[in-house]
Amino acid sequence: MAVAPINLPAHQRAERKLLITVAEWTEGSGSSTPVREILGRRTEDSSIDYNADIETTTDILGINYTDINRTQPQQDFDPFLVLGGSQLAAKLNDIRRRNAISELDQFTVYIITAFIGDATSGYAAEKHTGCTIAYNSIGGDSNVNFPISVYYSNNITTGTVDKLSDDFVFTPD
Amino acid sequence: MATNKNQAVIDYLITCPTILNSPLYFNFINAKDDTNQFFTDATDVYTNKNYIDGSVEKIYTFTIITFKSAADIAVVKLPGHENENLSDMTDVQNLIEWIAEQNELKNFPNFGEDCEIEEISTTTEEPKFEGIDEQTSPPLAVYSTSIQIRYIDFSKLIWR
Repeated sequence: MAVAPINLPAHQRAERKLLITVAEWTEGSGSSTPVREILGRRTEDSSIDYNADIETTTDILGINYTDINRTQPQQDFDPFLVLGGSQLAAKLNDIRRRNAISELDQFTVYIITAFIGDATSGYAAEKHTGCTIAYNSIGGDSNVNFPISVYYSNNITTGTVDKLSDDFVFTPD
Repeated sequence: MATNKNQAVIDYLITCPTILNSPLYFNFINAKDDTNQFFTDATDVYTNKNYIDGSVEKIYTFTIITFKSAADIAVVKLPGHENENLSDMTDVQNLIEWIAEQNELKNFPNFGEDCEIEEISTTTEEPKFEGIDEQTSPPLAVYSTSIQIRYIDFSKLIWR
């Protein structure tokens, strides 16, 4: 399968808003409708760190051989302000209050690269199932900050999403 | 069409009794007793905060200049005596109190559906005394109150 091109004019930089992280989960055992929320409201800077485990050896000719044994992608959102209407903040706060930390690994997280594809053909996306979203602290100064870290599972399904809103449909490749 | 923020702020300010009861001018000076002048300020775009979802936090600032007739009477401690200059200063202070009250109530100007106001506040706890205009009769005391509105502009969001 051919690699999809970057859908931008030549040399134009991709705006940060085109790289989208969306958390998905279901409420309760009987519910089948997933709840989704884009991450990064009021966050100025957030990157996915791949935390690669790298091993480099050098042979007797001085040539380097580098192996990447694994990646453990992680994305921090700090600040993650508690905002009115945020279902994820409510969900995590409920887990925090009960110290039910085993419930933190129930998330599906989508990374949508909206600079690949379009509204007609769909936007390229990857779906990580079984991700953990951990809260790191709660407090702050004038507003309640509840910074979180997303630990991606690497259990990946690639595909596309048909639109850029919470009610998107994900279609696997 | 984008909402006219200046008009939105004027519509908001005239609900303040201190403003409603005195003539208000927009970007114009009419140096008369008990008049208010609304001056737009230029806020540097470098104060904008860009968020990763495409929303932008911005600040809209403006200044209200108030003219009050000034009396050249010393402040004396006599029962029942009220110094006009002190009393006028309290009048001007009322605008600051009103802004603080509206902020607590989350009662903000309407900047349209693409903007969400987070806070309105004055930049000082009391009006700044700018000086006396002695060219007028009576002389006028000039006070200024700077007000800033912090809001989030969602117009560039792609996630709807």
